[in-house]
Amino acid sequence: MRQFFIILKMDLLNLAKSFVLVQYNTLFPIALILILGFLCQGDYGGGGVSSYDYYGVTMLLFTVLNVSVSSANSFMEKSIKSSNLRIVFSPVRTSFIYISKIVATFLFTSLCYIAVIIFCNLVLGVNFGGTAIGCVILLILLLDLMSSAMGVLFCCLFKSEEGASQLLSMMNNIFGVLGGLFFQIDGFGKTVSIISYISPAKWVLEGIMRVIYDNDLSFVLPISVIFLVLTAVFAFGCRLTFRTEDYV
Amino acid sequence: MDSIIKVENLEKSYKKNRALDGISFDVHAGEILCLLGPNGAGKSTTINILTTALKGEKGNVFFKGRNINQIAKTYKQNLGIVPQELALYEELSAERNVEFFAALYGVRGRELRVKVNEALKFVGLWDRKKDRAKTFSGGMKRRLNIACAIAHNPKIIILDEPTVGIDPQSRNHILKSIKELRENGATIIYTTHYMEEVEEISTRIIIIDHGKIIAEGTKESLKEKLAEEKQYIIEADGTDRLEKEDLYKIAGVKNVDLEGNRIRISVIKGIDNLDKIISILIGKKIKINNVTNEEASLETVFLKLTGRTLRN
Repeated sequence: MRQFFIILKMDLLNLAKSFVLVQYNTLFPIALILILGFLCQGDYGGGGVSSYDYYGVTMLLFTVLNVSVSSANSFMEKSIKSSNLRIVFSPVRTSFIYISKIVATFLFTSLCYIAVIIFCNLVLGVNFGGTAIGCVILLILLLDLMSSAMGVLFCCLFKSEEGASQLLSMMNNIFGVLGGLFFQIDGFGKTVSIISYISPAKWVLEGIMRVIYDNDLSFVLPISVIFLVLTAVFAFGCRLTFRTEDYV
Repeated sequence: MDSIIKVENLEKSYKKNRALDGISFDVHAGEILCLLGPNGAGKSTTINILTTALKGEKGNVFFKGRNINQIAKTYKQNLGIVPQELALYEELSAERNVEFFAALYGVRGRELRVKVNEALKFVGLWDRKKDRAKTFSGGMKRRLNIACAIAHNPKIIILDEPTVGIDPQSRNHILKSIKELRENGATIIYTTHYMEEVEEISTRIIIIDHGKIIAEGTKESLKEKLAEEKQYIIEADGTDRLEKEDLYKIAGVKNVDLEGNRIRISVIKGIDNLDKIISILIGKKIKINNVTNEEASLETVFLKLTGRTLRN
């Protein structure tokens, strides 16, 4: 296990040294919240929900969905991939390579998003559920964990960061739209509303909104379990599809 | 000599392309074994199977008599691998890079610091240990690539074209280091495209082509065994008056090439026929400016065996 923590530490260091990833997981969601919150001010306000409250949650979820792209980058970005080769050569379990990338991306982005939540709450006054903020953070972090695992799995499947990132970006945008992260889509009819449930963003948004505005925690446990199960499935998929041959 | 690695009947295909076709060889303790072959010959596939990164379809590799698949961890602990592609964290210092990779082999604490310093001194980068890898020249990165592979003191060091695209100074440093590693007890497996490197460092050579071993031995024995011919290179004016057939009539002449003012004649060793060749040229009123005699080099041995130059 000692070797696992050595690799994890290096992966965290690499993520922290990536200016693009730091920016993407901190400044980017804040910028989105500020812009959309400002532009849509007039559309919100009724029932005590401001545009900043809405986009504070949805844009955060959108960037958390895109953590899969960050994890793909942390796993198979060109320079990282060649260095992973040395880990393949060393006497450590090959599973440490992909598990470490999942855990490192999760830890790194979790810290980023907790910082974003604190900033949005204190500076922009975004409502994250008051005393129930712990449940909101839990759901966001579990989505983060699942996204991290999904990004690494896609790299194992496509053998390259480019292929994985392209598909993930497309999927995340579709999930974002279906999940109502940019605008409410329930008004497009019953069929669209049903289809929207294929998006994990939809489940987590629903669960978070219930926590914040209805103090209803009934969705927290089932959504948490679903995300944990999906994470386990994706990690197992990595085990099945990760081949050291792809590195040489 | 003791065999430290034994390779038996390795086979590997990539779709329809047969990369390895039943390769078998031994690696002896303390030698510098050079694997030579043109691109696509099967060198890298062999190396990748030896590193365990790639699995062969058939055949076995034994380390000290035991199948490496059964003792993968012990085997890997004894290996130091310098991949062809630079495998470094560019944003980190040289010291941090070596430290990380040595730590993966279980080196820790004070021993880790000592070994990292030793490895960096060995490759001549100790004074730059705090600098980021991305600030290094190509040659320095290649040397750091080596330091990352040797800090844990491996018994076997596999180097896959470690001198590609670097300056002569760094190349010399690397070749000197490799000889030093051998003197310190390591066994080296080395692939390269540069014949002069093989001439300089190898204690034994294996030539691979189309997934098969086509020759094996020391450089001297390969030259001796395979170079039954020598070449005369004659520089002359008026070579257009020469008919190749005139020279082929001379006993021992195997091949004649006319390259402008240069005549390249391959003859069987041991048959003295230079006087007859010169007589014919004089008879044709060809003015001879210079005559040189070229013995077989590894390059010509390789060319003869594979029909290709090494960089084809």
